[in-house]
Amino acid sequence: MNRRVVLWISIAVLCIYIGIALAAPLIAPSGPTAITGKPLEPPGAGHLFGTNDVGQDIFAQLVFGARITLLFGFFSASLSVLISTSVGIAIGYYGGIVDEVVSRAIDVFMPIPVFPLLIVLTTFFSPGIIQISILMGVLGSIHGIRIIRSQVLSVAQTYFVEGARAIGASDVHIMSRHILPNVMPLVMAKFVSSSQHLLVMGVGLSFIGIWDTTTVDWGTMIQNAYSSGGMALGLWWWILPPGIAVVGISLALAMIGYSFEEQFNPRVGVNRL
Amino acid sequence: MPVISSRYLIRRLGYSGVSFLVCVTLTFFLLHLMPGDYITNYLLWLANKVPKEAVDQFYQQFGLNLPLTDQYILYIVNILHGQWGYSYAYGLPVFSMIVEKLCWSLVLLLPSTVFGILVGTAIGAWSGWRSGSRRDLAVFNIMIVFRAIPEFWWAIMAVMVFSFYLRWFPLGGYSSISILSAGLSIPDVLYHAILPILLMTFFIATGNYYVMRSSMIEVIGEDYITTARAKGLDEQSVLWRHALKNALLPMVTLTTFQCAAIIMGNVFIETVFSWPGIGYMTTEALRLRDLPLLEGIFLLDSLLTIGAMLLADILVTVIDPRIRMGTDE
Repeated sequence: MNRRVVLWISIAVLCIYIGIALAAPLIAPSGPTAITGKPLEPPGAGHLFGTNDVGQDIFAQLVFGARITLLFGFFSASLSVLISTSVGIAIGYYGGIVDEVVSRAIDVFMPIPVFPLLIVLTTFFSPGIIQISILMGVLGSIHGIRIIRSQVLSVAQTYFVEGARAIGASDVHIMSRHILPNVMPLVMAKFVSSSQHLLVMGVGLSFIGIWDTTTVDWGTMIQNAYSSGGMALGLWWWILPPGIAVVGISLALAMIGYSFEEQFNPRVGVNRL
Repeated sequence: MPVISSRYLIRRLGYSGVSFLVCVTLTFFLLHLMPGDYITNYLLWLANKVPKEAVDQFYQQFGLNLPLTDQYILYIVNILHGQWGYSYAYGLPVFSMIVEKLCWSLVLLLPSTVFGILVGTAIGAWSGWRSGSRRDLAVFNIMIVFRAIPEFWWAIMAVMVFSFYLRWFPLGGYSSISILSAGLSIPDVLYHAILPILLMTFFIATGNYYVMRSSMIEVIGEDYITTARAKGLDEQSVLWRHALKNALLPMVTLTTFQCAAIIMGNVFIETVFSWPGIGYMTTEALRLRDLPLLEGIFLLDSLLTIGAMLLADILVTVIDPRIRMGTDE
């Protein structure tokens, strides 16, 4: 069906983005900060997307910016899913006092708003990419622990888990070989949706100026172009490329996310009858 | 009759209290662990000029010579009294700065939240009721696309198209230059507010759309809807009397949250439009690394979110007789 086509196109787009990010030094050998032309040159033969206010090539910045933006999105999403899956499985499986303590702690931490907390913490710590993505991964995992836990609770009661325990399988073995595969679809769906969410949030945060100004990513590119009045002067080539790049990857991830959810979430499937 | 056991209510209140205490503790220790103390940060540009006696007096006044535990208790007491410290960058009390900016934010937030919730819920209900139809899927797919595009990018594009090329709206700010001669005029402020309000309405509506649609789909699958149809009710009364009422339940929680989250939700819009509200102040404070001010914004937001969670839980319990919080636990 055409939803399938959209899914494959989205996966292709994602692969292209990752390929560009990996091959950045080959595609744009001069690097993102080198001054290679006159300031504010419109797109042309020498500079595919023109240059910015100090004469840096926008295409090169875009290519290198992909590295930071993607790294940020995927790293923090991986961390967040890793934490929520492992903690969720552990507390769901062991239950009892462990579950009680962690669940109560989550009750306390859940209402604390993540976005302003992140801003406060990054003002305090040095605002490096790795630090911020670790913070975002940890803060973003709290909600996921609950979702995974409730799924694990229903799996942990099944006969195959009991059977595995009866033949003397260790806890670690049961959790990794019997429970994990059963929550894996949910974990994958969560991973895709949180990478989209966190990637966009990362670009947004850098748009409002969370990192130091020397970092080149799509958010700072948009921010530079916007605050220097690139738009009011009609310098569209300065502001459009990074924005379109964000929209592209965000759409691709959103489409993959929805396809995943349709596949694995029976409740969403109902409406496609 | 609504039933909330007082035990549940007290426990729920306790959790909310602990949550806020965690936030306050966090902000206290972050301020303390900051390199340099409060006074040197606060009097940054005066630090070398102010005589030592004056600095000592400040230490006395701010209670910085007390032991850490006393300072901590003092801090909590001050927070509860609305004394949230002084901004490093502006030297003004954080609380009054936030309150002033909050009024400006509300100019955008009130209309957009109300319209956004109404529009989103209405379209979501329609879409869920007709789920699976060609038109529902079309709307659903469009909403996915709308939602995937970041807020600040919508805002920038809107400014570019409607303000820069079409010149229908101003490029940003809250007032024209005439404010210098004629003072602040309400029509002028509204003229500046239209585009941001429309954009925020749009975001809130797309967010509500999903929840309402999936809630509607879930309700339609329930047995009582089949029963209602089986006893020969026409579709309109099934929709209005049975489906809609139940499908609106999750919206109560969502709406409460949205009312709390709107404070931070408009950081991007306010930044793009240079609207002088909390969101724009957050961006400015972040740029100036103004920790006390950011902490104040964080405390306000956590207070609102914690309150909203509490309110949502209680409201849902009161509205939905099937949920008996605390009695079945």
